[in-house]
Amino acid sequence: MPTLLTVLLACYLLGGLLPLCTSRPHLQNILTHGAAAVAGLAGIVLGFVGLFAAQPLTLSVPSNIPLLTVALRLDPLAGFFVLTISLVGLAASIYAQGYVGEYAGRVSAGLLGALLNGFLLSMTLVVLADNGFFFLILWEVMSLLSYVLVVTDHERPGVREAGLFYLIMTHVGTAFIILTFVIFSQEAGSFSFEDFRHPDQRLPEGLRSIAFFTALIGFGAKAGIVPLHVWLPYAHPAAPSHISALMSGVMIKTAVYALIRVYFDFLEGVFPWWWGFTVLSVGAVSALLGVMYALMEHDLKSLLAFHSVENIGIILLGIGAGMIFHTYGLHELAALGLLAGLYHTINHATFKALLFLGAGAVQFATHTRDIEEYGGLLRRMPWTGLFFLIGAVSIAALPPTNGFVSEWLVFQSLFLSVQLPTLFLKLMLPIAAAILALTGALALACFAKAFGMSFLAQPRSAHARQAVEVPTSMRVGMGILAGSCVVLGLAPMLVVPLLDRVTGPLTGVAISEKVLALDGWVVAPVTVEFSSISTPVLAALLVGAGLLGLLIARWLGKGVRARYTRTWGCGLPLTPRMEYTATGFVQPIKQVFETVYQPTVKLEREFLEQSKYFLRHQRVEFHTEPLFETYLYRPVVKKLLALAERLRVIQVGSLHLYLTYIFVTLVLLLLWAG
Amino acid sequence: MSEFTHLGSQLVNLCSVLLLLSCFAIVAQRRLSACVDLFALQSFFLATTAALVAFLTGHRHIYLAAALTVVIKVIVLPRILRKVIERLNVSRELVMNINIPAGLLICGGLVVVAFFITQPIIPLGYLLTRDSLAIALAIILIGFFTMIARKKAVTQMVGFLVMENGVFLGATAAAYGMPLIVELGVFFDVLVAGLIAGIYTHRLQDAFDSVDTSELTALKE
Repeated sequence: MPTLLTVLLACYLLGGLLPLCTSRPHLQNILTHGAAAVAGLAGIVLGFVGLFAAQPLTLSVPSNIPLLTVALRLDPLAGFFVLTISLVGLAASIYAQGYVGEYAGRVSAGLLGALLNGFLLSMTLVVLADNGFFFLILWEVMSLLSYVLVVTDHERPGVREAGLFYLIMTHVGTAFIILTFVIFSQEAGSFSFEDFRHPDQRLPEGLRSIAFFTALIGFGAKAGIVPLHVWLPYAHPAAPSHISALMSGVMIKTAVYALIRVYFDFLEGVFPWWWGFTVLSVGAVSALLGVMYALMEHDLKSLLAFHSVENIGIILLGIGAGMIFHTYGLHELAALGLLAGLYHTINHATFKALLFLGAGAVQFATHTRDIEEYGGLLRRMPWTGLFFLIGAVSIAALPPTNGFVSEWLVFQSLFLSVQLPTLFLKLMLPIAAAILALTGALALACFAKAFGMSFLAQPRSAHARQAVEVPTSMRVGMGILAGSCVVLGLAPMLVVPLLDRVTGPLTGVAISEKVLALDGWVVAPVTVEFSSISTPVLAALLVGAGLLGLLIARWLGKGVRARYTRTWGCGLPLTPRMEYTATGFVQPIKQVFETVYQPTVKLEREFLEQSKYFLRHQRVEFHTEPLFETYLYRPVVKKLLALAERLRVIQVGSLHLYLTYIFVTLVLLLLWAG
Repeated sequence: MSEFTHLGSQLVNLCSVLLLLSCFAIVAQRRLSACVDLFALQSFFLATTAALVAFLTGHRHIYLAAALTVVIKVIVLPRILRKVIERLNVSRELVMNINIPAGLLICGGLVVVAFFITQPIIPLGYLLTRDSLAIALAIILIGFFTMIARKKAVTQMVGFLVMENGVFLGATAAAYGMPLIVELGVFFDVLVAGLIAGIYTHRLQDAFDSVDTSELTALKE
């Protein structure tokens, strides 16, 4: 471990420093992103080492600062997250080599690369940290670096506001995280995670519940759970696309890591049923609302950001179900729920990062993010189209992709609630499953829109007409993630045993033998009869059916001459104006869920003077109400501003007055002390 | 207590009182150049006090501090300040936040406060300089007060330097001076502060056509 860790640290640091050695942007670009890619490779190996280590590997260096120890610990849970982060980091840094061309002349490639290296390093160390203080410092570094990266494009309107919003929300979260750690340190007597795990005596019940909530709020703010998600759809899309990929793909996963660490490790997995139920409810609400808002987005990257809210919800559904089962001593089911959550974690990391990279590639080619201005890109950018399609199919959870496998596992663990002893939970878990089903269907609609409107039909703008395929390095970056998506989907027999090594120590049971039937070709959570699935067979069937259809067509069509001609448009020439628009596509859904969207339609019409049957001019505007911003955040912000306005009375900006404040305070304190 | 140390202690007290008196003189003075001269005089008294303490106690390093005081506070800083005044072409302060008689009365009050505060502490001390602590505190408070009462950046700087003198006297009185390395650092800080304030005053003149720090309120949006 020390060797690998040294390589990883050295590469990230070199990646940060090497650009300083040269002033040629091209060389800077290659050096810094190359170093990040090598570090990513080292991180992948390190992750596997962590997963297979019999004992957690630890490394500790005491420091002069009180309470702080530079302590690292690599156990299977940390290893799994290091693996996830490094995999996405590798793809993103290769992709970045081509992508930073978009910023040439505005932002130095070396600077962007150095920040990328620092960001990746801080994320990797966050999951390895084994000391509360060290963790908090790294968490802050991670948040601040990501803030700096978000405001890279600060000249574009809205980006600075998005950055500020993110900065405020993440610090509110950090405050709650600090509170959590302070509560733990009460009994542990130090900030070491080792002491958190084995305190002198268990915390009292009330404090444990407070710690549960502070952790959920603190880490939830970073993960983007509803209603703390509001910053995410602004901040994630504002960053350069490879950073968006990292933020949505892996940074929010560090919060998932921390939640599992706190609930199953520090609190030893002992908790009342309503904790799990809270996590489950938050997950269900996040999943549904995330996808519903995503549907209404026509900015490709904002759409993807809303889907991150949805997928965090799905992950929390798995983890919440696992927590509920754990409370009732159903350890194997608990392991299954947790495993489903973790499986979805790495799946979401790969396909969401892939989709963001794809969106970045489309933006690179068309210089716009508005879906309405795309169209017909598949012909112009076949590789990007293929990779985006793989990502879209995965996130929509269509078999046999990776998203399907993990969502199916979440479903299974929710259905197995029949084994729970209380009627209430027996009812609630299937309802969560129903919400998940609705979420899945809406996600499918959303990506039918995102892919269809962007890549199919005819270009709807000059930007889209002039699009060309992106450079090789960007395609390689996307290709790595697309490949990972396919492998994660087709080879659950390789992934499940790995995840089992993570959940085993947390729940106390190993389930991979039971989950995998027939040498791993079939995934069956309980018995093969109850429910089972085999993605390799499904894939084979799909391909087989396709080939069969082709063969039949050949066989039946023998002797018939194929005729190639233009698409028939009822005699009219086809134009982009005939196409379905993204707004039109989601209109029925907007109607159905009117209560959630609270849409307002503004219609302006101008008629000819002679007759009101002839329009001269018509303009339609659609708006949906962001519920949480309007009813939750704006009132709070208003109150705060009013308070600040009142405090302004003492801040008149006079040097003498400020000196007087200090003077009076000094004299009064002296008199009081004397 | 021997005759010799008793006399020494009296001498230290005398010098401290002279320091305090020069403070009052600064408060009562309108002309900027006279303020600077008075500050130089005060610093000279300070150096004398430090040298006396060094002689009486045999702490060699205090001699060095005294020498540095002479070089920096009696020679270098007043010269910088005089240059600033020359360049800015302002010789006297016409409008003040608090006028001179009221200011002198307040300063009298501050001296009482300083003695009142240090009264319970002084008997606990065993150093021959312990009585100077009250005076040191009074000088700090008066220096601070000068910064509030005056409007011109130059007099505010003098006020700041007077405060620093008070701190130095306090350190000498309470503990026979700080460790040498700390003292060196403080001298360096004061010098740098003086230089920065000189530049800052200049910028102020450029921006507002005046060295009146009240104008800074205009920086508020």
